[in-house]
Amino acid sequence: MTRTDWQAMLRRTSFIELNARQRARALLDDGSARELCGPFDRIESPWLEPQGVVPQSDDGVVVMKGALDGDPAVVVAVEQAFQGGGIGEVSGVKMATALSLAARDTRAGTPTPAVLLLETGGVRLQEANLGLAAVAEVCSAILELRALQPVVGVIAGSLGCYGGMSIAAALCTRLIMTEEARLGLNGPEVIESEAGIEEFDASDHPLIWSLDGGRQRVGTGLADTLVLDDVTALRTAVIDAVRAGMPAEQRSRRIKELRAALEAVDPARPPEPAALADVWARAGAKGDGR
Amino acid sequence: MAATHVPTTTRDWTRRRAAKRERLAAVQPFVSGRLVDADHMRDALQALLRPGDRVALEGDNQKQADFLAEALAGCDPDAVHDLHLLISSISLRDHLDLFERGVARRLDFAYAGPQSVRMAQLLADGKVEVGAIHTYVELYARMFVDLIPDVALLCAEQADRDGNLYTGPSTEDTPTIAEATAFSDGVTVVQVNELVDELPRVDIPGDWVDLVVRSPRPFALEPLFTRDPRHIGQVEILMAMIALRGIYERHQVTSLNHGIGYDTAAIELLLPTYGEELGLRGKICRHWALNPHPTLIPAIESGWVESVHCFGGEPGTERYVAARPDVFFTGRDGTLRSNRVLCQLAGQYAVDLFIGSSLQIDAAANSSTVTEGRLTGFGGAPNMGHDPHGRRHPSPAWLGLLTGEAPALRGRKLVAQITQTFRTGGTPAFVETLDAITVGKDAEMPIPPIMIYGDDVSHVVTEEGVAYLYRATSLAERREAVAAIAGATPIGRGIDERRVDALRRDGLVALPEDLKVDVRRASRSLLAARSVEDLVAWSGGLYDPPARFRTW
Repeated sequence: MTRTDWQAMLRRTSFIELNARQRARALLDDGSARELCGPFDRIESPWLEPQGVVPQSDDGVVVMKGALDGDPAVVVAVEQAFQGGGIGEVSGVKMATALSLAARDTRAGTPTPAVLLLETGGVRLQEANLGLAAVAEVCSAILELRALQPVVGVIAGSLGCYGGMSIAAALCTRLIMTEEARLGLNGPEVIESEAGIEEFDASDHPLIWSLDGGRQRVGTGLADTLVLDDVTALRTAVIDAVRAGMPAEQRSRRIKELRAALEAVDPARPPEPAALADVWARAGAKGDGR
Repeated sequence: MAATHVPTTTRDWTRRRAAKRERLAAVQPFVSGRLVDADHMRDALQALLRPGDRVALEGDNQKQADFLAEALAGCDPDAVHDLHLLISSISLRDHLDLFERGVARRLDFAYAGPQSVRMAQLLADGKVEVGAIHTYVELYARMFVDLIPDVALLCAEQADRDGNLYTGPSTEDTPTIAEATAFSDGVTVVQVNELVDELPRVDIPGDWVDLVVRSPRPFALEPLFTRDPRHIGQVEILMAMIALRGIYERHQVTSLNHGIGYDTAAIELLLPTYGEELGLRGKICRHWALNPHPTLIPAIESGWVESVHCFGGEPGTERYVAARPDVFFTGRDGTLRSNRVLCQLAGQYAVDLFIGSSLQIDAAANSSTVTEGRLTGFGGAPNMGHDPHGRRHPSPAWLGLLTGEAPALRGRKLVAQITQTFRTGGTPAFVETLDAITVGKDAEMPIPPIMIYGDDVSHVVTEEGVAYLYRATSLAERREAVAAIAGATPIGRGIDERRVDALRRDGLVALPEDLKVDVRRASRSLLAARSVEDLVAWSGGLYDPPARFRTW
């Protein structure tokens, strides 16, 4: 058993503590960050005020251009404190456009990888179909850029990445998580309200993290890197992920592996969460088995 | 000369003792030695109890004799009915099922937090007769005066073959109820999690215990005192800074009790950072009457805390507390020994300060956590939140609030209320009329259920500043001081700035700048721990947070 260095834990600078703007800045090289479509541009969602929701002047998404370990990069961060990180028409377009522009710059000779900070419940319900369309645009923009440059997804916590945006996360070239981060298609409350508390008790934290938590997702190969909630550790992991470049085959294209993983599990007799990594490893799916 | 009444017949002076013998004889079919067969607990209770019995059912702040409560609720109302229940904290469904089924009729209680809506309904339906809504200490006190239990249903972690009990860290009220019952020829029945040959320590001697049942599941224990630092925001931090400078530092508060809540958790988490910066370590907050709050761990670890006496335990802190015996009261076995009544006594007579969050405060500083449609009761807040006139020993903090006319001078305990001017959802915390007034009328209470009376409150803290109410010489002045820190609430809008300036000059009110509190510094980076994980790290891995507080 490894002895945790508690003093080091206390000395760390928590990344989770930071808001979206601070997170984006913390990843980029000092002094290099420059916000695009920032709050002073006042690009707000027109759909919230009529529904009695106070809009935010950045619509909850921060786009930051800058240098990552000396090279150009763009960071797009979702602010979890605003509408549960829900993606609406404006915030979705900000994210999709940033990715498309990075692809354009890359094609024009300035390779520009992207980092997505995903703390989001998915589509913003107040914007209904427009939000759905926006998430589709984000996915399509990820596909466009990832053919040229790495798109690194970071789920640090504490909200997690759920709904349509979990699909966007799954499309990322590499995915970095902390132990406190969660990744899943349907959020715990959604499962409980749809399928009943017998199916899923959304107040059962060990259950939630045993399925959706960073350790499990990395262990089962649905995410790549598990890091400590620490600014330096996160930044180092992001730089490494970008430096690792393009994989031979993107995770979302490893259909055979994913199918084998699905077939290895009998939904009528699901394995214990802790056993899933082994079950999948035997079936030929990749994970680091932690 | 007045006539003396001379009894002509000989009275039987041992009726309770005889009744106890009869009761214990009646349960014999279900008992071997002291041990009741868990499968026949209901039958045993039906044999033991008489209609109209006064039954103390252990429902403490945290631990619940839930197996016995369930067995009692299942009793046949034809056999067992019209019981008079004494429960300090009504928190289980079973507690109120008893009344719905007619097993019990009369109730004396102190707190009904989780069941407060149903409680109000049962009262309206005439299903329950309330003797009185007490504060904790009163209810236990009356068990020794005019509410002596016939039967007590208690819980403990372990029992040995002689009925000796180990309560575990959450001793809470068990010894008190057991004493009131055992020494008045009542019957004590205890559910235990385990039967063992040897106890780690004896919390209650076996000859106070009549019957023991091994519960099929451990008794319920709520982590009531755990607050996740993630939910502490800038405003709580600002208020904590104001409280530290405006109350703790100014009055040299060395011994104290904190209520439950994020406001006071913020103060605990600011000691190792802001408090350290102010050079206050060793000068304030040395002795505590407090449950083992996980948010106190950083202050303990950085050497602020000399002693903590506890009302009860707190799930997850067992190993940590056991590893810090110089600070906590621990048994020879090493684990925490708590005692709610003694800690209440300490909180009333031995400490300089009580500070707690309030939900509603009126213009005269009366405060209440009662809200409409609920009958929550009082709990222990009024016990902690008052100035005990029986105190005589001086301390700098107590003497600092000197009151009265010579020679009848006395100090005062500091009773502080802390609240944001507006609560979540934009509800003002400062109101013209407390909800408690309506609730009291609806429940036909003889007096409104005010938690803490305005004339006991010495300080009110909000994000606007501190009101030093003990300095007010009239009710009018007290009202002005409250208004001065009540922000944009209807109460706060009633005072003009010039008057506030005058109150500041006279020392009745202090704003952050008067206290040299830099509002801009109120950020989460000032918290010694910002997550439950940080608390675990501070404890060196000794704190085991309950599952619901784990986010990893």
